Amino acid sequence: MVRISVLQHAPEQHLPTRPGDPTPQSRNLNPLMHPFARARERKRALNAAKMDRIFAKPFVAALEGHIDAVETMTKRSDSLVNIASGSWGGDIILHNLTTRQITQRVPQAHKGKVSGLCYASADRLLSCGVDRTVKLWSAGDDGSEGSLTQPLNVFPGKAAFNAIDHHRSDGLFATASNIVQVWDETKTSPISNLTFPTSTETITALKFNLAESSILASCGSDRTFTLYDIRTSKAERRVVMQFRATALSWSPTLPTLLLLASEDHNLYTFDVRHLDRPTQIYKAHVSAVTSCEWSPTGMEFVSGGWDRTVRIWQFKDGKGVQRPEVYHTNRMQRVTSTLFSGDARFVLSGSDDGNVRVWKANASEKLGVITARERAAIEYRNKLKERWAVDSEVSRISRSRHMPKTIRSTDKLKHTMLEAKRVKEERRRKHTRAGEAKPKPEKKKIVVAEQT
Amino acid sequence: MDSLFAKADAVKPLAKRRKTSHKASQNGSNSLRNAGKDSANNDYTAQSVTKHTSVPKSLLPTPIESSSGKLPKYSHIANKKLRGELHRQSAHNARAKALVDESADMLLVEDAGKIEVEGEMERTWRVGQDEIVQSAGQEATKGRKELRLDGGPYRTRYTRNGRHLAIAGHHGHVATFDWQTGTLHTELQLQETCRDITFLQDQTFFAVAQKKYVYVYDRDGVELHCLKAHIEPTRLEFLPYHWLLASVGNAGYLKYQDTSTGQLLCEHRTKLGSCTTMTQNLHNAVIHLGHQNGCVTLWTPNLPHPAVQLLAHLGPVSSVSVDPSSGGRYMATAGKDGTVKVWDCRNWKGVVREWSVRGSGSETEVEWSQRGYLGVTSGGSVNVYTPPSISQPFNGHVPPPLYLTHPIPSRPLTSLRFTPFQDVLTIGHNAGISSILVPGTAEPNFDSSEADPFESRKARREREVKSLLDKIQPDLITLDPELIGTLVEPSKLVTSDGKPATDTPYARLPRFDQLRVSGKVDTTEDPGSADEATGGGDGEGIDEEKKQQLREEKDKKRMRGKNKSMKRYLRKQRKNVIDPATVAIRAKLEKMKEEKRKAILAKKGIIEEKKKPSALDRFKRKA
Repeated sequence: MVRISVLQHAPEQHLPTRPGDPTPQSRNLNPLMHPFARARERKRALNAAKMDRIFAKPFVAALEGHIDAVETMTKRSDSLVNIASGSWGGDIILHNLTTRQITQRVPQAHKGKVSGLCYASADRLLSCGVDRTVKLWSAGDDGSEGSLTQPLNVFPGKAAFNAIDHHRSDGLFATASNIVQVWDETKTSPISNLTFPTSTETITALKFNLAESSILASCGSDRTFTLYDIRTSKAERRVVMQFRATALSWSPTLPTLLLLASEDHNLYTFDVRHLDRPTQIYKAHVSAVTSCEWSPTGMEFVSGGWDRTVRIWQFKDGKGVQRPEVYHTNRMQRVTSTLFSGDARFVLSGSDDGNVRVWKANASEKLGVITARERAAIEYRNKLKERWAVDSEVSRISRSRHMPKTIRSTDKLKHTMLEAKRVKEERRRKHTRAGEAKPKPEKKKIVVAEQT
Repeated sequence: MDSLFAKADAVKPLAKRRKTSHKASQNGSNSLRNAGKDSANNDYTAQSVTKHTSVPKSLLPTPIESSSGKLPKYSHIANKKLRGELHRQSAHNARAKALVDESADMLLVEDAGKIEVEGEMERTWRVGQDEIVQSAGQEATKGRKELRLDGGPYRTRYTRNGRHLAIAGHHGHVATFDWQTGTLHTELQLQETCRDITFLQDQTFFAVAQKKYVYVYDRDGVELHCLKAHIEPTRLEFLPYHWLLASVGNAGYLKYQDTSTGQLLCEHRTKLGSCTTMTQNLHNAVIHLGHQNGCVTLWTPNLPHPAVQLLAHLGPVSSVSVDPSSGGRYMATAGKDGTVKVWDCRNWKGVVREWSVRGSGSETEVEWSQRGYLGVTSGGSVNVYTPPSISQPFNGHVPPPLYLTHPIPSRPLTSLRFTPFQDVLTIGHNAGISSILVPGTAEPNFDSSEADPFESRKARREREVKSLLDKIQPDLITLDPELIGTLVEPSKLVTSDGKPATDTPYARLPRFDQLRVSGKVDTTEDPGSADEATGGGDGEGIDEEKKQQLREEKDKKRMRGKNKSMKRYLRKQRKNVIDPATVAIRAKLEKMKEEKRKAILAKKGIIEEKKKPSALDRFKRKA
């Protein structure tokens, strides 16, 4: 007795039952059914990397309106579209990001430059200037373009103001001049003066902590940054560094993490519990960094510098530093202020040429409606890039960036100088008695002194 | 400030990880959950966050208890981060593998065909085609066909999904059709010799090896290209993942044409004369050629010589085939000396199994099926053998146990093809084509992303575009297909002190090594290489150099130890210039030395004999 069975496929199982139905798919995961699986996957990764570079068109729009360099920008915390910017000419402009139009304009808000801006609440804007006044403006979003002439309130000061920041919950704000002053919105004189004893410096930037809102950090012209507590009305700690810090920003997710932009071309993150050294050094700029801000997600931050570039860094929480994304255009001059939009999808930069530019935070992101299939394809491509990142060809393509010649040559020169410095130090160490000159870790070179 | 720190600690310890939490995670999930609960109750921040950050249960990774014992420990790796990463990777792989195993019974729904005998004396090869057809289902019986055609001996070829068949008769009859529905795509009478036919990426294009050149036709039989670079072709192969059409001809040139760009990629001169046998290894895209002198050669586009050359037969090789079921591990060859041999492609040390075919057919064809069944034509019949016994080493020249046999009266049998995903064997012969049912030869479960017999027109288009995007570069064809994605071998470049150059970054290499790495080193000034250039005969130069080195070393040592100031002075004065002051001092030193020696000798009581006067004394310079 012989039993015979011959393979036969039932067509009704493999064909759509009605016209228009999707064709049934069958799978066999046996690796022998998929020859060259790895080679094909690598090819797909290569294509993904190439597509990423092809579609990397980060520039979205330039918001015009200022006739002088943009000095400062701020965003409204409860809205994704409202942005205010102040310029060296003394005017303040309120932009709408979706319509890309000016909602309000305040010509001659201050005499001289507007040095600081912040929203006091949804419809009130605080500005400070070098004309030694802080002004409170009504910034209601009524949808029509108008110009304001009269502030709601004026707070006179004794010295030119450099920065301003509002308290997260209370009606308080802090200003930076030669001292840090805390003001009540309802009173015309400061309620307290904060200064580190023995300090005679000019404060250039200050920010309230986002989690513990009575903590305040500032940086000054004496190569220092200082932490204050407004409840005790005194400076808690002060750190003297090798170079001056120009801007600072508190992490929105990690309450003790402070980001500093420094004049030595680097950015630093400090954990304020351990002020003797930064947790990470971020090197890429080829000139002084003038501004920095965290993304609202706390996963990345943006910095703008004197080298006319905007860079976006991934924050990897102590797991090293990735090369930052870098944005530049021909007409963008030195970047004085940078901002992340509230949804973390866009980056704004204000520069010396008087424009506020809007960039995508992810250069090759597609704007507009994305279908589910497209989303799946994008996610697959991202995973492939991540998986094959160590492949030399894939990494070469995804690393490549076109840079202006000036920046490239400056970068090269900088590298040469640093290398020469390192070699010199090494030689010096080689010719001193063994064990006498130990190499100092770079993180430990940053902080000169920590004062309490 | 303290409240700030407290808040930060609640979210996540940034700088120092506390050991307590680590221990909790080691103890197991239960205690971890408890610990999490406690801390969540205590801390407001964590409580507010956990609700929105916890992963849904369905997305939590399943624990791998069964294979956890097998996971490598990597305890030999000192770097903690690397060890953790490796451990994570292997756990991930194990989990993926477990998922694949789990999915097998869900995805692989169809069973392969088979013939089973119950009685001990019954044999499967006694079962004839009529019996098989009777017991086969309605769909399967369609596979049994006899086509009477008078175009001479026929060559056949299937598409990768096994749906479409192309036939080419020796006298110029060419046809392609969907053999399951029986619809003819095209039929051509080319009026000249056609030696081989192959489909390109799918049924829409096919190439025919005609009398003088290779021609490409589309589905409707319109001649699209005449590939004049391929002269007098005898066999064609298409590499689907590389989009390469390979042909070999009477002149013995193997030529690769890129069908996506149209360029002739390369041509290899085999130097072994006319070649009439070619096949490809599906798993590494290597072309196997069988030659008139009994050699089998393996070719890749990027090597100008064969990757492997072996003497397989004592006469011309008539057919070669590679086993797809074992990942291209076994190769079967048939020669005109009447033997069939099975080779192991990883180890060419000898034949795995060989046997002689009955009927001593001069044109023996061999072909492996998807599931590893081997079909062999011998004289006027086709024999099929089953997998494990074919590749098991066996000493005698005995064929493996026969599975199935089918006589075909019209000789010669010129082509043998198993249909992918159907239990059908198609034989091209002198009087047309006959296809027989061979249960169990085909893979029962196809993958729609690779080859789908029931593919719609839209799916075909999409797959064509996708496979073009995924086209692999021809330089990546190697004998080992898993080469991509493996680690690079360490460089053999070394620095001057014998350490591998990759250990130190380029910027930290000494200048000489930097120059050497960048290829700018001036070898003419390199003393070592200069010696090499002059050859071994110049031994004195080396000696001289060694002496110089020794002298320098000695001087160095002398400087370190106790020393006379005068000697140091003299050494510093050592120049080519003869200075009377130095000469005087040297003479004085010599004299002192002599006196000292004499004094020592006198102390010991040895009286030195005076030298006998010699005739040469008259030339002695007087002090």
